[in-house]
Amino acid sequence: MIQILSRYGVLFILTLLVLTAMSFSLVYLFPGDVLENLTGIVPQNEIQREALMRQFRLDQPYIVQFFYYLSSLLQGDWGYSLASGLPLREEIGIAMPATIELSAYAMLMALFVGIPLGYYAGLKSYSTTDHTINALSITTYSFPVFWLALILILFFSLHLDIAPLSGRISLLFDIKPVTGFVLIDIMLAEGIDHGLAYRDAISHLALPTVAIGAITTASMVRITRRSVIDVIHRPYIVAARSRGVSEWQIFFRHVLRNALLPILPLMAIQITTLITNAMIVETLFSWPGIGSWLIQAIYQRDFPALRVGMLAVSTLVITLTIMVDLFNRIIDPSREKYERATV
Amino acid sequence: MPMLDIKNLTLEMVDGDTTIKALDKVNLTVNTGEIRALVGESGSGKSLIVSAICGALPSQWRMTADRMSWNGENLLSMSKYQRREVMRRDIAVVFQNPQTSLDPSATLGEQLEESIPDEFVEGYWFWQRAQHRKRIAISTVHKVGIKQHKHYLNAYPHQIPSDIGQKFMIAMALVSQPKLLIADDPTRGMEPTTKTQILKLFTRLNQTRSLSILFVSHDLLAIASMSHSMTVLYAGQTVESGKMKHIKKRPLHPYTKALLDSAPSFRKDLPPKSQLPTLGGSIPTLQHLPIGCRLGPRCPRAQRACVSRPAVRYIHDHTYNCHFPLHMEKL
Ligand SMILES: Nc1ncnc2c1ncn2[C@@H]1O[C@H](COP(=O)(O)OP(=O)(O)OP(=O)(O)O)[C@@H](O)[C@H]1O
Ligand code: SF4
Ligand SMILES: [Mg+2]
Repeated sequence: MIQILSRYGVLFILTLLVLTAMSFSLVYLFPGDVLENLTGIVPQNEIQREALMRQFRLDQPYIVQFFYYLSSLLQGDWGYSLASGLPLREEIGIAMPATIELSAYAMLMALFVGIPLGYYAGLKSYSTTDHTINALSITTYSFPVFWLALILILFFSLHLDIAPLSGRISLLFDIKPVTGFVLIDIMLAEGIDHGLAYRDAISHLALPTVAIGAITTASMVRITRRSVIDVIHRPYIVAARSRGVSEWQIFFRHVLRNALLPILPLMAIQITTLITNAMIVETLFSWPGIGSWLIQAIYQRDFPALRVGMLAVSTLVITLTIMVDLFNRIIDPSREKYERATV
Repeated sequence: MPMLDIKNLTLEMVDGDTTIKALDKVNLTVNTGEIRALVGESGSGKSLIVSAICGALPSQWRMTADRMSWNGENLLSMSKYQRREVMRRDIAVVFQNPQTSLDPSATLGEQLEESIPDEFVEGYWFWQRAQHRKRIAISTVHKVGIKQHKHYLNAYPHQIPSDIGQKFMIAMALVSQPKLLIADDPTRGMEPTTKTQILKLFTRLNQTRSLSILFVSHDLLAIASMSHSMTVLYAGQTVESGKMKHIKKRPLHPYTKALLDSAPSFRKDLPPKSQLPTLGGSIPTLQHLPIGCRLGPRCPRAQRACVSRPAVRYIHDHTYNCHFPLHMEKL
């Protein structure tokens, strides 16, 4: 157990180091002057230039610069946004939870709708119900996410007018970002009508969640169905049946767990797609998450924001992926103890 | 009346535009209290018969049979529920491949306890029942010769050596105290001492509990010493069937004779270092089966009549499928 944890720990740290190196090198890859990109200040004369160079360690070798970057990241000094002048850590600290919240609900939707549907389709494999579910999921899966989001806006916001067009919560509610998760913050907020606030927040959440969740749900259905069909034809299921074990017991004791095991690693892959989709949908719904924040940074050529933002998003993805894999390793007895960790 | 009675069991699979007949009118009976051996080369369809009996055939096979009955009840027309009851209480199977027949994500103990019929478990509260289940599991495991029950009951299938897996499958079959045990190659690859242990266990259960056994194996020597009767299969056709001692003394079918001759320990008169007599060629593949008697191309006694399928013939309870059996010497 300790060994598994330490393996995953080492993998995690190494991956982060590589990512940090990549984000560090971005400064040199952006077009234009390195110093200007990094500081946003156009030096008026050589003396000022010298001073800035020294302040940002640009006069030193790359390796020293990198360790300076790393240590300031670790100390919580992530630099300042060129556009707003605010500390990046604060900005990301507000934008990131909004994205995580949206993705989490979409993932929950995929888990609680996709997996049961997949089990049902798999158990009834090659029946009409199964074909219907499968066809629907393939169709949904093939939708481009932005198109789906636009259709939802067109239909529910503009046509039926039952859901708001954009944003996270109506400005009438004065909610301080404590955790960054709007549903939790409403609970913590004082002096507002909680019921109304929840209704408003959920109506804001519904469309983007569905837009992101639909595609992940569809692929969850397909993965689960495939896995269940695979498991119910295994010899041990046949053997259990020939011992007279009832169908219910076979499902709960043998099919359920064995079909779930191959789903988990595939879920880790889904996380990447999910967060990418979330970032696309955010911009369409003006959801104040990391996706729309990064798009803004690109428009404004806010290079410090871009490089830290990119690092933050990839750290999130890597963390989730490794956690799912670790969880899978812990619950799956047949995976060898000394198998190597992978991303 | 035989306990298990199968008549003219045929299994077909559609493969493109041809139908493959993997089993062609197979007859098999197991009487109460006997050990019946089912022998045949690899690929002759032994495991298919076993799957057909327990209703575990993959869906691509089309099965037809004139009769397939268990204690006089027709297995083919039974409801799903009745069939499951028969499999749960009366018939137990040890499949050929123990490692894939065990759920990789559950411990051996869990899987063994699951096979214990509820009627056997005493106790009112669930913990009493769980304890009793555990006791039954441990004693069954001891019976098949696994001593470290603590270690193996908590192990997962990938953590155990294959002979323990085989013994475990036998334990799972025996725990429901069946009337008929179907064992498909249960001793394959076992060490001689372990094998003797298992064969002794089977013989003892047969004598003390009058457990009937259908024993599927390649191991002629083991079979000959323990079983009462034998059915010989060749390329999906039954060739000969009868009491062990009759067949051993005087086989009627050319294939049975060749099979017995190829096992040197059956022949006391064999001069040292002489070549063993065998049939030329090898067992045909399912795609290229000869018509009529499937032994035809390899048979030293084959004649023109052999292109039509020989019907079953009887001498008392000894049956054979051959136009020119060995006791008719008018070739
Ligand atoms: N699912 C299947 N699809 C196609 N052919 C099959 C299938 N299962 C079995 N067969 C074929 O049916 C024939 C009989 O197979 P079976 O497993 O019953 O042989 P066997 O007598 O048990 O051999 P062994 O002694 O090696 O176990 C073989 O030729 C095999 O190739
Ligand atoms: S029927 Fe003909 S080919 Fe078949 S075993 Fe008898 S003699 Fe040989
Ligand atoms: Mg076999």
